[in-house]
Amino acid sequence: MFDLASEIMATLRNNKLRTALTGFAVSWGIFLLIVLLSVSRGLVNGMESMFGQRDTETVSIRGGYAQKAYKGLKENRRVQLRDGDIAVLESQNANVLSEVIAQISNDTAKVTSSKDYLTDGYRGVYPSEVRNSGLDMTKGRFINQNDINQRRRVVVVNEESAKTLFGDKDPVGQLVKISDLSFTVVGTYKQEWRRDVYIPYSTARAMSGGSDKVNNITVKLSGVKTLEESENAEKGFRSTLGRQHTFAEDDNGSLWIWNRFSDYLTTSTAMGAIGMAVWIIGLLTMLSGIVGVSNIMFVSVRERTHEIGVRRAIGAKPRSILRQIILESVAITTLFGYVGIVLGMLVSEGIGMLVAAGGERSPLKDPTVDIAIAIQVTVVLIIAGAFAGLFPAMKSLKIKPVEALRDE
Amino acid sequence: MIISLKDINKSYPGAVPLHVLKDVNLSIDKGELVSIMGASGSGKSTLLNILGILDNYDSGEYYLDGVLIKDLSENKAADLRNYMIGFVFQSFNLINYKNALENVALPLFYRGVSRRQRNKLAMEQLERMGMADRATHLPSELSGGQKQRVAIARALITKPSIILADEPTGALDSKTSKEVMQVFRDLNADGMTIVIVTHDPGVGEQTNRIIRIVDGRIV
Ligand SMILES: Nc1ncnc2c1ncn2[C@@H]1O[C@H](COP(=O)(O)OP(=O)(O)OP(=O)(O)O)[C@@H](O)[C@H]1O
Ligand SMILES: [Mg+2]
Repeated sequence: MFDLASEIMATLRNNKLRTALTGFAVSWGIFLLIVLLSVSRGLVNGMESMFGQRDTETVSIRGGYAQKAYKGLKENRRVQLRDGDIAVLESQNANVLSEVIAQISNDTAKVTSSKDYLTDGYRGVYPSEVRNSGLDMTKGRFINQNDINQRRRVVVVNEESAKTLFGDKDPVGQLVKISDLSFTVVGTYKQEWRRDVYIPYSTARAMSGGSDKVNNITVKLSGVKTLEESENAEKGFRSTLGRQHTFAEDDNGSLWIWNRFSDYLTTSTAMGAIGMAVWIIGLLTMLSGIVGVSNIMFVSVRERTHEIGVRRAIGAKPRSILRQIILESVAITTLFGYVGIVLGMLVSEGIGMLVAAGGERSPLKDPTVDIAIAIQVTVVLIIAGAFAGLFPAMKSLKIKPVEALRDE
Repeated sequence: MIISLKDINKSYPGAVPLHVLKDVNLSIDKGELVSIMGASGSGKSTLLNILGILDNYDSGEYYLDGVLIKDLSENKAADLRNYMIGFVFQSFNLINYKNALENVALPLFYRGVSRRQRNKLAMEQLERMGMADRATHLPSELSGGQKQRVAIARALITKPSIILADEPTGALDSKTSKEVMQVFRDLNADGMTIVIVTHDPGVGEQTNRIIRIVDGRIV
């Protein structure tokens, strides 16, 4: 075996230009495949992390303006969601949902500390809001069920807002005033584009002076799997609320609906398609590399017809000639494929570092290729190399030794 | 009798098939030094290629050391060439990227002999040919006579029953030709059977028997 290897190394070394050209084709193909795969992996990772923090199986609903005249009512009416809608939605769509929660918002209230104040208003929320909005808790905790049950006066603020209010002091346990009531800060979160101040839903309800208006309702879907089911569930919510607030169920302006589940499915499908496309492009690139190897092996075998004739005259069996040519091309593809894999991995590491430096908004995340894929690619490569060698080798054996010897 | 040909015929196919060997009968005994002489195109190389199992024949019977050489599989033919025949060619047919030692050792590679053993035996043959000091030289760094000595060493390393040489001196000047012929005579003196194709009468004279071939017939 070692003997055969050194025999092969000798022929490869003797044909440096040919070896280098073939090798380049293979390295390039593999390099592209690895880089493309890692970028598509990065896209998928990016998508998963974007949706990962959030609850993807939720639908948020806000009131809008009914555009169509309906049952004697004029067009362009404000639709205002109310407390009563929660129970109605829950009972009429029980088969597609597991929970309905709501949010009350006050956009004018001041939040004041001894040092400074915020003018962001406040939101009365349920515990699951932390996932719906994809909040990243940095200190303390979010609103919990006990806060709701006991109407506690607790508040969660953005960590930047906490700095405004308390400077460098630990915000957790500090007191703030909202609408002249005293609240205890129980946690802070990190979110680049959100400065909302959260208090328990029940507390906010009590502060709303008898109003039953809610800002938005969030439905947690359950048992919904496909895009079609998700769209149907959404239609169901629209018609329930249409009966409740008297607007046509096909009046799209009446409610503002954010169906996160449909978004998620659509994005996943798109990601899947990108992933497929990347594999196809990569495999085609690799295929062209292999066709290159095969071509060059053909040329090389023709160039070496005479040498093969000499080897056969001194007793080389067809199978040893066959084995040598096949192993030669396997050696080229494996060696240079390995170079391509290593370079490809280095470049995708590099992209990964750039992406990491680019921060959270980059569409890519961890664009790396795992070892399993690298191994699969290597195996494909070795098999392809064997095939690339097989055909020229068989062709070389069709030539009789006497003819091969004559050819000079 | 190491070689026995009975009514061998060989044609090359073509628009007009060319009948090259016509009812050739020939026997060569162990230990003979024979030359085959004839005009260019008379069929000498064709005959030698059949003897060397590099080519097949159309009709007749060829026995090599008692084995009927007919319709052999490529593997069997390769084995017989490796174990029984040593070739020497006019154009040497050394592999240009292998040094003298590696060229001489190559037939044993196809026999599965270990590298160390191969190189040892190859060195012995090179010594026998007076080429030990050129063992690491590439063919391009050797003179014609030296190349032919390396080629003869390669033919000898398998301890063949017979050496077949097609115009072994064809590419050499007369002085070197004489030296190479001396090598063949010495090998023959040690008992080796040798068949040399030539059209040089000087070479023919130095063999023990001359077989003349005219237009595909032995005369
Ligand atoms: N593969 C082939 N196909 C067709 N014709 C061939 C082939 N090989 C040889 N011939 C023809 O057969 C005849 C005999 O050829 P061969 O090579 O045996 O001659 P030779 O006696 O060795 O000649 P030389 O002294 O020139 O080497 C020639 O006419 C040659 O043209
Ligand atoms: Mg000839």
